[in-house]
Amino acid sequence: MGARRYLLSKVLQALLTLVFILAFNFFLFRVIPGNPAQILARNKLLPKEAVEELERDFGLKESLPRQFQLYVADTFSGNFGISYTFRVPVRQAIAERIWPTVLLVGVSTILSTVLGLLIGIYGAWKRGSAFDLSSLGFALVTYSMPEFWLGILLLIAFAGGVGVFPSLFPTGGIETPGADYTGLAHYTDVLNHMFLPALTLALAYIGEYALIVRSSLLDVMGEDYVTTARAKGLREGLVLRRHVVPNAMLPTVTLAALNLGFIVSGAITVETVFSWPGLGLLSYEALRAPDYPLLQGLFLLFSGAVIVANLIADIVYGYLDPRVREA
Amino acid sequence: MIRVFKRTAWVVVLVLLTALVAVPAAYGQSDGNGEADEDDKLVFTSGDDNDLDSMNPFVGVEAPAYLMYSLNYDLLVNFSTEDLSPSPGLAESWETSEDGLTWTFKIREGVEWHDGEPFTSEDVRYTYQRVLDEKIGSYIDYLSLIDTIEAPDDTTLIIKTKKPTTQLLSAYVYIVPEHIWSKIDEKELKTFENFPNPVGTGAFQVVEWKKGQFFRMEANEDYWGGDPNIDEFTYRIFNNEDALVQALKAGEIDFADTLGANLYDSLENTSGINVNEASIPSFEEIGFNTGADATIKDSDGHPALKDPEVRRAMAMAIDKDVLVDRIQRGHATPGSTLVPPSIPFYHYEPSEEEVLPFDPEAANQMLDDAGYEDTDDDGIREMPGGGDSLVFRYFVRSEENSTRNASEFISGWLKDIGIGTEVQALTDSKLTDVIYNGKYDMFHWGWYPDPDPDFILSVMSCGQRPPDGIWSDSFYCDEEYDSMYQEQKTLLDLDERAEVIKEMQRMVYEDAPYVILYYDKNLQAYSDEWTGFVQQPTDGGDMLAAYGPFSYISIRPASAESGSTDDSEGISPAVWIAIIAGVVLVAVVGTMVRRRVGEEDRA
Repeated sequence: MGARRYLLSKVLQALLTLVFILAFNFFLFRVIPGNPAQILARNKLLPKEAVEELERDFGLKESLPRQFQLYVADTFSGNFGISYTFRVPVRQAIAERIWPTVLLVGVSTILSTVLGLLIGIYGAWKRGSAFDLSSLGFALVTYSMPEFWLGILLLIAFAGGVGVFPSLFPTGGIETPGADYTGLAHYTDVLNHMFLPALTLALAYIGEYALIVRSSLLDVMGEDYVTTARAKGLREGLVLRRHVVPNAMLPTVTLAALNLGFIVSGAITVETVFSWPGLGLLSYEALRAPDYPLLQGLFLLFSGAVIVANLIADIVYGYLDPRVREA
Repeated sequence: MIRVFKRTAWVVVLVLLTALVAVPAAYGQSDGNGEADEDDKLVFTSGDDNDLDSMNPFVGVEAPAYLMYSLNYDLLVNFSTEDLSPSPGLAESWETSEDGLTWTFKIREGVEWHDGEPFTSEDVRYTYQRVLDEKIGSYIDYLSLIDTIEAPDDTTLIIKTKKPTTQLLSAYVYIVPEHIWSKIDEKELKTFENFPNPVGTGAFQVVEWKKGQFFRMEANEDYWGGDPNIDEFTYRIFNNEDALVQALKAGEIDFADTLGANLYDSLENTSGINVNEASIPSFEEIGFNTGADATIKDSDGHPALKDPEVRRAMAMAIDKDVLVDRIQRGHATPGSTLVPPSIPFYHYEPSEEEVLPFDPEAANQMLDDAGYEDTDDDGIREMPGGGDSLVFRYFVRSEENSTRNASEFISGWLKDIGIGTEVQALTDSKLTDVIYNGKYDMFHWGWYPDPDPDFILSVMSCGQRPPDGIWSDSFYCDEEYDSMYQEQKTLLDLDERAEVIKEMQRMVYEDAPYVILYYDKNLQAYSDEWTGFVQQPTDGGDMLAAYGPFSYISIRPASAESGSTDDSEGISPAVWIAIIAGVVLVAVVGTMVRRRVGEEDRA
């Protein structure tokens, strides 16, 4: 009973946030100065009549409440307007670019959480050891490094080739232009192109996970029930696995969900460095224009993704920690 | 339960081990075949930082779009590689009547569109007529004097003009096939993508376009101007210039275009890479709001800038040599007049008496004499009779860091003559907006004029002032200038035309609606495995994307072995499979060992 209520309240909260974002998004893009139809038209040398036609097409002649009504209706039917720069529906522009980002962010998230967890757990367990000290140093360095800078360093070292080292990986893009690879060759081509950007993003977040996991593990290790477990004569490995890690996992779950937003913003810089054709690069191109309909669609998608990730984290939290769902 | 898991785990390990051996072996075979195909094709790849905006030649405005048009389409009259003078294009030859009003073009025979349809004079008539009928923005100015167009037979085109003009010989209008474009009505024209399969008569045709990533063009073996040596041309987009340079060094691309000065300098002594400092018709200027209130009601330009004396004094306060040195790292020449020196026939260089030298003292004196004095002793001059301070809003481009860097010098120099500035960086579209509404005092931007000076001269004409016009960004307007502008369009004698055009430049230089800071260069770098580039103009011009497909037709590998770029960057599939299988193996074995230990614990 408690579990269902917990779930329901969390879903409701998420929906409310989404509605707020929806409204916020509408007003945000209308307080930005400049008449979009004019910006669009003058860049492309359209006559006055065409500008008026555009204003009609974009619904800019309607009153603000009516515009909001149209906007909500359009959003729910998946219509986000036409991108200024790509001249295709925003939905299409986003759909073309979404999978590269899901792939890149997915792989680097898995890599950074798994490796970060392992490093953090081992470091905490062997606190003060050479491994702990060196991993702590590594974590602090990569955590504080800006992604784009790390990306450029990796690019110069592994794609351009430094000194006697040959260039190992491609410098940009998601596939070799004109190669027309199929099957396995295509997958490895993409894998090769993904290696450096994924490594950059993973490195940038491993440190954070390692640090958080390590410190929460150290907290838990000081608890009485851990001492009790030891007193019962349990092997050290078992104490760690059964009593310490599950309790220390909780902050990590929150972190992973919260990080999704940061990884997306990290993807903007990393995708730009490596010309990776994903949503991050799309955001950069949209900002450069500026392409308001596209930006609006991207904002909505990003905020939606963060809300959903948090919802999932809340649900997982409920399962991991009975206190939460019963409270 | 645990036993079942154990058995499954062993099966997984076994399968993985088999895969580890079998798949790479099988792949190795097909891989060999695949690469053989790849090597047969001779591909030339260039890299730049910008995608094309549209493959529709009536819509696109970005430089890469014009590159694609120049390869996929043809002009009626080409710009020669030597000096950009008119040379045969789709028209083999032409003649004018004595009164200069009737032009007869002899159209090339036997040319085919990419889809195999024959090309005739009717296609040219159709294209020009359509531009005229629909007043297509980027093209109409080249054809504005046309009265009637006729195509009496397949190889003859007769154009009558309203006034005598040589305009038609520099008409930068790409010829499109009537059999395709006549199906696209006026409304659709603006949104027509012209992709896939854009049909032209050009030396190449687009076969693939991944927006924001690359486009590929295949050579047209039957091209009337010669079968290109390369089989394919790939244009790759890099969103980061460091990556572009690394790609060139690694051999992923063969040519890097429009490089920044820093990276260009770093490539100058790299082995295997050649560099070229191409002189191009391009300049950067400080533009002033010389009186937007004449055409725009709620504009708010500073009144002092309406006075040519103030603008001249500002021109004399700016040390162009320092800007060339510090901002462009020496890869530019100090600027003077509207038509760049890379178009030597029309360029005007001010004489010794006319030149406004760098001389802050003289500039101060000029402002003193004109009555702009610092009445409240704050180091900034006021309007004559003690009005507003001479503090100008000075906009630079957030897209172009060099404008921001230049502003630090320029603001300092203006301070030295008692003029204050408020520097603000704007995006290009915002800056366009601000200029269009006359809400600015000065800005830093640039132009890349056509080979024919008509366009850049039109920028200073009264008719181009917003809101009725588009291109004026200084709101300069002078009747005498305008009448000369109309006159130069109608002069058939090119020397006479050059005289008028030079006089126009002299006038604009003296009135200083612009301070032209420098003529910049296109910094290019390329792999020494390639040769056969055609520079346009021959003397120090662009090696690739100038005005026509010439270089792309003639480029070839420097030796038999070189030229084919190493396509297979990265780790081979076999190694990837080994790595992934290895990771999974370790994970599975690790879990199994742990399970075992767990069992013992429980026992």
